[in-house]
Amino acid sequence: MKAYFLFALKRLLQLFAVCFAGISAAFFISHLSPISPVDSIIGRVSGRSTYSPEAIRALRATMTELFGLDVPLWQQYLNFWGRFVTGDLGPSLLAFPTPALRLVMIALPWTFGLLTATIIINWLIGNILGGLAGYYQNNRFLKAFGIVAIGLQPIPHYIVAFLMVILFGFLWPILPISGGFAMNVRVAWTPEFVLSVLHYALLPALSLVLVGIGTWFLGMRALVSNIVTEDYVTYAELAGVKRPTILFAYVIRNAMIPQLTSLAMTLGLIFSGTIIIEQVFSYPGLGTLLVRAVNEGDTTVVLAVSSIAIIAVATAIFIIDLLHPIFDPRVRVE
Amino acid sequence: MADILTVQGLKAYYLMNYYGISREVRAVDDITMTVKHNEIYGIAGESSSGKTSFIKVLAAAIRPPLEVVAGSAVYDFGGQQVDPTTASPDVLKQIRWKHLSYIMQGSMSVLNPVRRIEKSFVDFAMEPLGLSGKAFWNRVRDHLAHLKLSPNVLRAYPHELSGGMRQRVTIGLATVCHPEFIIADEPTTALDVVVQKDVLALLRNIQQEIKSSVVFVTHDMAVHANIADRVGIIYAGRLVEEARTRDLFMSPRHPYTGHLVASLPRIGDTRQRPALEGRPPNLAEPPPGCRFHPRCPLAIDRCRSEVPPLVTVAEEHRAACWRSDEVRPVLDADLPRNRAEVS
Repeated sequence: MKAYFLFALKRLLQLFAVCFAGISAAFFISHLSPISPVDSIIGRVSGRSTYSPEAIRALRATMTELFGLDVPLWQQYLNFWGRFVTGDLGPSLLAFPTPALRLVMIALPWTFGLLTATIIINWLIGNILGGLAGYYQNNRFLKAFGIVAIGLQPIPHYIVAFLMVILFGFLWPILPISGGFAMNVRVAWTPEFVLSVLHYALLPALSLVLVGIGTWFLGMRALVSNIVTEDYVTYAELAGVKRPTILFAYVIRNAMIPQLTSLAMTLGLIFSGTIIIEQVFSYPGLGTLLVRAVNEGDTTVVLAVSSIAIIAVATAIFIIDLLHPIFDPRVRVE
Repeated sequence: MADILTVQGLKAYYLMNYYGISREVRAVDDITMTVKHNEIYGIAGESSSGKTSFIKVLAAAIRPPLEVVAGSAVYDFGGQQVDPTTASPDVLKQIRWKHLSYIMQGSMSVLNPVRRIEKSFVDFAMEPLGLSGKAFWNRVRDHLAHLKLSPNVLRAYPHELSGGMRQRVTIGLATVCHPEFIIADEPTTALDVVVQKDVLALLRNIQQEIKSSVVFVTHDMAVHANIADRVGIIYAGRLVEEARTRDLFMSPRHPYTGHLVASLPRIGDTRQRPALEGRPPNLAEPPPGCRFHPRCPLAIDRCRSEVPPLVTVAEEHRAACWRSDEVRPVLDADLPRNRAEVS
C-alpha cells in the first residue's frame, strides 16, 4: 500500500509538470498570434465613428497598458503565472472586464456534458458489443454491426456531422441542428430545459457516437478473439465453468485492461475533436468560445480554454493511471 | 476389475478445406484401448505423434478442424455411460470436473492472470461439489493441505506463485472434486526435475486417495517409469504397443519402444545412445503398411505393404509389429527406478 501512495505521489508531480509545460506552451503560442486584441477593439470602435489620430493613439496606449501588454513577454509570462496560482486567469480582452474564467465556466458544462456522455456511451457499448462479437463469432447481428463499424469508422466525424445535418436538418427535418437548447426555454433546472438540452444534444452526440463506437468495437473484438484462444479460457471451458462467468470474468475482464489504457490516450484527441463538432452545430461549448477568441485575438480566453483543457485531460489520464493497478494486479507500482 | 474407459477403433482427423483443396491429417488412427478403475495409464509418443489430439477427444475438447470420423470412446461413471464424441453439451457440462477432469499442459498459462486463486476454485469447483460457504472452503483448504499448499495461496494471483506451486494449484483444481477420471497432459514438463519428482509423488498420492483413474501423457519415458501402471506407446497416430510398465521397459515388443527405452540414460553408463534415423512421418500422407517401417531396422517387405494389427503378445501386453518376437531390448541394463521409491 505504501508503494502505491509513493506511485500516486510521483504521478501527481508528473501531472503538475505536464500541466505547467502545456500551459506555458499555450501561453507563448497565443502571444505569438499576429492578431492584436488592441487593434481589433480599435477597429471595432473606430468603425462606428471618426476619431482623431491622437485620440486613437491615446486609446491604444491605454488599452495596451490595461491589458498588460506594455511590458516584455517574459514579464507578461511571470505576471500570468502569478495570477494563475491565485485562480485568476485575467479578464477577457474583448468582453472586458468579464473574467476569462467566467466565460470558460459558462461554456464548460456544455462541452463536458457532451463529452462525458459520448465517451461513456462509446466506451461501454463499443466494448460490450465488441466483446460479445469476439466471443460469439457466428452471431449474425454482431457480424452485421462489425461491417457497419468498419464502414463508418474511417470517416472523419465532421463529415458524419454534416451528413447528420443534411439528413435530419433538411431531408427529414426532425431534429434541431444548431444551438444548445430551444430559444424560448428559460435556463434553469426545469424538466423543460433538461429535455430541450437533451433534444439539442442528440445530433452532435450521435455524430460523435457513430464514429467513436466503431473504434472501440473493432479494437475490443480483435482483443477478445485473441483472448478466447488463451489457455486459461480453454481450460475454464473444459472445466465446465458457466458461460457468463467465462465471458465476463475471463474474457472481457482481461480485454478491458488495454482498453482502459487506450481510453486515457484518446481523451485528449476527443477534446480537440469536439471543437469541430461544436462549430458544425453552433454548440455553445468550449470549442465555439475558443474559435471565436482565436479569431479576435482574445489571448486570455484562448489561454483560459487551453489551460482548462490541458488540466482536464491530464487529470483524466492521471485518474486512469491510478486505477490501473487495481484493474491489473500484475502492474508493479514501485 | 471393470474398465472405466473403453476406446473402440477411434479415428480423429484434422479435416481442413482451404479454397477447395481439402486435406486430412490422421492424428488419431484406429486406436483401441481401455483404462481400468484406479490405474494410471501412461501415454507416450514423440511430438506430433497425435497423443494430444487423442486426449483432446477423451477430454471432449473436440473443436474443428479436429473431427471424430469413426469409433467411440465410452466412459462408465458408476453406470452412467458417456461418450464424449457424441454426448450433448448439457451432459458434458454435467460430467465435467465432477467425473472427468483435466490437467492441462503449461501450468503457466492455464490460470486467469487477473483472477485470485480462490475465485478460480469457486468458478471450477463450487457447482460440481455442490457445497457452498464454509463447507466449500473447508474442503478446498483440506485439499490444498494434501498438496502441501498453505491456504494463503487462495488469496494470491497466479503471477505471485512459483512454477511448482502453480502446478500444484492446477492439480488441486483438477482433483478437489474427486473425479473418477483425470486426464493429465504433460503436467510436469515445464518443471525442473526436483519439483517434478514432488509433483509426481503428490499426483500419485492424490490418485491413490481418491481412487481415480488417470491418463497421463508425456514424452518423458522416465516419468512413465515412475508413475504409470501401464503404458501405451503412440507412433504416428497409432497405438503401437501397450503393456504393464515393468514389462514394457524390460521386454519391449515393438522396435520403436525398444529405441525409446534404450534412449533412457542410466547412472554409470557413458555409452552413446543410438539415435533413430529419420523423422516422424507426415500424418497427412502417412507411409503405407506399418508407419514405422521407414525408420525401422527390422523392416521387411511385409511391413511396407501390410498394416500390422495390435495383437496380444503376452499377458496384458499388446504390440503392433510383424516381427515382435525378434525385438530385443537394445540395452538390457536394470529397470529404471520403480515408482514405489518415489512416494
